[in-house]
Amino acid sequence: MTRKTRRLWIVIACLACVGSAAALTLRAFSSNIVFFMAPSQVKASPPSPDRTIRLGGMVMAGSLHRINENGTPVNAFQVTDGQAAVEVHYTGILPDLFREGQSVVALGTVQKDGGFTASEVLAKHDETYMPKEVADELKRTGKWDPRFGKAPDASSWDTMTAKKAGG
Amino acid sequence: MRPTPNLLHRYANPGQFLRLARTLLPWLTGGAIVFLVVGVIWGLFIAPADWQQGDTVRIMYVHVPMAWLASSCYLGLAICGVLSLVWRHPLADLAAIEIGPVGACAAALCLITGSLWGEPMWGTWWVWDARLTSMLVLFFLYLGHIALIRAFDEPARGQRAAAILALAGVIDLPIIKFSVQWWNTLHQPDSITLTGAPTMSMMMLWPLLICTIGFTLGVAAVIFTRLSAAIHESRARQMMARSRLDRRDSQAA
Amino acid sequence: MMHLPNHWPYIAASYALTLGCSLVLGVGAALRLRKSKARLAAVEGHARRRERSAS
Repeated sequence: MTRKTRRLWIVIACLACVGSAAALTLRAFSSNIVFFMAPSQVKASPPSPDRTIRLGGMVMAGSLHRINENGTPVNAFQVTDGQAAVEVHYTGILPDLFREGQSVVALGTVQKDGGFTASEVLAKHDETYMPKEVADELKRTGKWDPRFGKAPDASSWDTMTAKKAGG
Repeated sequence: MRPTPNLLHRYANPGQFLRLARTLLPWLTGGAIVFLVVGVIWGLFIAPADWQQGDTVRIMYVHVPMAWLASSCYLGLAICGVLSLVWRHPLADLAAIEIGPVGACAAALCLITGSLWGEPMWGTWWVWDARLTSMLVLFFLYLGHIALIRAFDEPARGQRAAAILALAGVIDLPIIKFSVQWWNTLHQPDSITLTGAPTMSMMMLWPLLICTIGFTLGVAAVIFTRLSAAIHESRARQMMARSRLDRRDSQAA
Repeated sequence: MMHLPNHWPYIAASYALTLGCSLVLGVGAALRLRKSKARLAAVEGHARRRERSAS
């Protein structure tokens, strides 16, 4: 074995060691890496009320109620993952992207009655990038209602342009 | 120790690189300027606004190329590391020195533009989710590499240490890429994948593609220029050292 | 028509930072290459002159 091939093997062996170490570490910590819990997870094993968790899911259509209390907006809405829904209460201004059908992540605690009191609500954007005209056209023709979930398959609209959508 | 003909032999390869760089540089630079001018104007003024994000979607046209370049430059560092550790390629160490700061800039810009998008869209500058954190780790790997490769008086030792760091850090690249699939993250999954149709309108995909090509050509041009300069600098240093030795020899004689 | 959020300061900051950094990197590299070429030429010329005077 020449010195070059020996060095090559040493490098490959080191890479394999570091790689497997990292993979094992990530596996062990994977529950901590998860940024948020789904409503069904929260329902199945409710965390104690003194533990702050992140709850992630879709804002259920028709569940959003906003009232104004002495100038501060008080919001109540249901967050669902399709299997379970959790009632979320949040006092404060919601982000721009917040709407029914949007995915959100709320930071807060689970109450004894199963409700969730949020101290912070973040809007989660999905991987769909759609011009406004196309979205308006899809909504107008009834092909998609953003309040009920994700946009239809991209191949059905990704070549639609403003002109085609408008005409 | 007198420089031997071996030294010239060592420079055969950098010489070849210099010739290659001379031919390619005008094309890379010209292409980068044309693509960037077209891409930036298209992205800023012509591409449609997103139905939810409005005009803020335009940040994507600089954010995604920076993310792509930060990852590719690091892959370049890792390849230089293998070439340096196994084949002792003289050009690889010079390239690693020159690629590092460029990649670090791309990683920093990726984080900053992402933050500028996240504040109005998500409602926060920063979250510790897997995608953002692994990208921050990549930025710190760049900083470590930049510091390590210059940390020793004897350049060869720093280069060896930096090559090992570059190789160990390459594990972060798949973590960045797949973080949005493996774990729940606030960051959205990739819109463009090798397997599926892009979940993005063609009217947004084209400027994104053109900006990405433009920034890639530009970074290639910058790296080629920096590497050419480094070769010239090191040749000048070698000649100075040799002339000093010659003078000492002639004084001794 | 629904309300579209516009955040031009954020967009302008992103583009200015990215393009500014690219410009600084590119111009800096070009200047450095010119300087290093000139320096190498000077050192080489110096060495050649000395060799000629020595022989």
